[in-house]
Amino acid sequence: MSDRYDLSAIAGDRRDISRRELLRRAGIGAGAVSMSAFLAACGVGGSNETGDQNQDDGLTTTKENGELNFANWPLYIDRAKGRRPTLDDFTKASGIQVNYKENIQDNETFFGTIQEPLANDQAIEWDIVVLTDWMIARMIRLGYLEELDHSLLPNFEAHAGQIYKDPVYDPSNAHSVPWQSGITGIGYDPKLTGGEITSFNQLFDPSLEGKVGMFKEMRDTFTLTLLSLDIDPQEASIADIEAATEKLIEQREQGIVRQYYGNEYADALLRGDLAATMAWSGDVFQLQFDNPDLRFVVPDEGGVLWVDNMAIPQNAANPIDAHTFMDFVYDPEIAAQITGWVNYICPVPEAQDLLLKQGEKDSYYKTVAESPLVFPTPEMEANLHGYKDLTADEEEQWQDLFQSVIQG
Amino acid sequence: MARRSRRWSPVPYLLTLPGALWLTVFFIVPMFTMFSVSFQEGNFEEGFVFTGYWQNYTNVLTRYDTQLFRSLAYGLIVTLVTLCLSYPMAYWIARRGGKNKNLFLLLILLPFFTPFIIRTLAWKQLLGDNSIILGTLKGWNLLPESYQVLATSTAVLSGLIYNFLPFMALPLYVALERMDPSLLDAATDLYSNRRQAFLRVTLPLSLPGVFAGSLLTFIPAVGDFINADLLGGVNTVMIGNVIQREFVTNLDYPEGAALSFLLMGMIVIGVFLYARALGTEELTG
Repeated sequence: MSDRYDLSAIAGDRRDISRRELLRRAGIGAGAVSMSAFLAACGVGGSNETGDQNQDDGLTTTKENGELNFANWPLYIDRAKGRRPTLDDFTKASGIQVNYKENIQDNETFFGTIQEPLANDQAIEWDIVVLTDWMIARMIRLGYLEELDHSLLPNFEAHAGQIYKDPVYDPSNAHSVPWQSGITGIGYDPKLTGGEITSFNQLFDPSLEGKVGMFKEMRDTFTLTLLSLDIDPQEASIADIEAATEKLIEQREQGIVRQYYGNEYADALLRGDLAATMAWSGDVFQLQFDNPDLRFVVPDEGGVLWVDNMAIPQNAANPIDAHTFMDFVYDPEIAAQITGWVNYICPVPEAQDLLLKQGEKDSYYKTVAESPLVFPTPEMEANLHGYKDLTADEEEQWQDLFQSVIQG
Repeated sequence: MARRSRRWSPVPYLLTLPGALWLTVFFIVPMFTMFSVSFQEGNFEEGFVFTGYWQNYTNVLTRYDTQLFRSLAYGLIVTLVTLCLSYPMAYWIARRGGKNKNLFLLLILLPFFTPFIIRTLAWKQLLGDNSIILGTLKGWNLLPESYQVLATSTAVLSGLIYNFLPFMALPLYVALERMDPSLLDAATDLYSNRRQAFLRVTLPLSLPGVFAGSLLTFIPAVGDFINADLLGGVNTVMIGNVIQREFVTNLDYPEGAALSFLLMGMIVIGVFLYARALGTEELTG
């Protein structure tokens, strides 16, 4: 497959501090963060509110307020010399001041912190939040998001890639537009596996005993396992999930799985503790700068395309400023600037040419532009699947089964 | 000596008031809230309602009994090993430390000037399959290529023992240091040999330290989730990891709360039995 390539020629070519390096430093604090999140979660009592009472009463305002509160994930926007060029450019172009916070560590934890005010139809602090597609679907269902006014988003109409328009989780992008996306597939080190990995079933091979990493992210793990059982994830029934659970438990009991990982799988793969692991495309792209042998592959049975989206929470104070920003990042120049640093999949295909042009001066950008991990090939895209949108009941059933896998 | 008035005075009560208020607001109120949450039913989308749903307890007990008992077993092992490691060390510092006692105590504490997480992450680096330690030994063919320490219960237990050692060593030191050495002379005068003197004088007098050290080690070790998270693998999941996941990822507050109270109940019963076994008078020393 074309999604393997050699990076040794440019390894170590990045002058500025790399996202990878930042990630490694940030990882030290991860445990502390989850602890505080844990404590925060303890304070949430049972509220009896439902989403039903959240009617759409329109945006709170019809004009720009010159202010934007933006909650995003860590290391998910370009940095240079301690500044964030995209935000600086935005303020210069629009006069809107951005209060940017990297306070989303994972979807569930963040949801836990904003659910209570949203369920009570109150405003939260943020005008834009970035959340993964399935969480966007859940929040739309609960009435927690404002509808977007697409007349304010001409750049999105003009420049967004075709697969990002009218997605299953948010028909006609009524409530969200993509920020970045990525692929869940397999990352591996051919030196340790002793050969190429092409199929997800190879992660169930007893010869890799103790050297396989799986995710504790339920949706990723179940979706890839369903695909390996030849089941369409969108149509998965509880019986299908039980079959997947059985397959995963057998894998664990045979001692093949080393650990169920969150973000820390990346370090384990780099250190050689893992030979093959479920992996996110953007991470492996970064890891290849440290170990050019590492490869990323979309399993033959299919991989997952997940999309992180920008959305405006119900009753946000500055919804028009939020629209202005959403449209701003669909300017191909800006999209190229963000992707050039973040290295996840860019929703603006035109950014590829701009990065190639930049690559004439700096081979790093050429690598980004030519990587199928940042700009996937059409064959890859054809073999990617989305997550199933789960109801609250399904979610609980899936979670319970998944617990029996990972809490061995 | 001046005679103190025996009349009731409000001052001591007023002085305890801030502490009592603090505990009420930040301990008792949350405890009651969580206790009521543990009897709620529902899901995170539609909200949770109090229905007196006690089945939360039986559900989590049947589903997570392995992790619950594993955690208790880990806690016991950690307490015993830290006790065996710390006792001679604390004894030596208290009796033979001389002028340098404070220096030795500082040496025990020194690693703990670094945060917990960083120390544990350092272990992860050191014990990796191809790390400086294992990689080198494998290179010399002293270990098989597939040998691993990380992701085993040995790694988790070692991490816990290392991280909780001072909580055992310091109370032991305090108890042993407080002991009057002339008692040992008296024992010798009464024809006891060194072994008898230890068993009948030193050990009973150090029991308050053993008790305090055991509690300070056992209770946090049972509930710990960082060591299992960073050093463990698929068969070392502790109850702390399950509780953390129930709250943070699954947003299943009632089951998380029920598990927390089950764990607390087990610890309270365990500590009560332990106190009875050691004899409470000795503990107040």
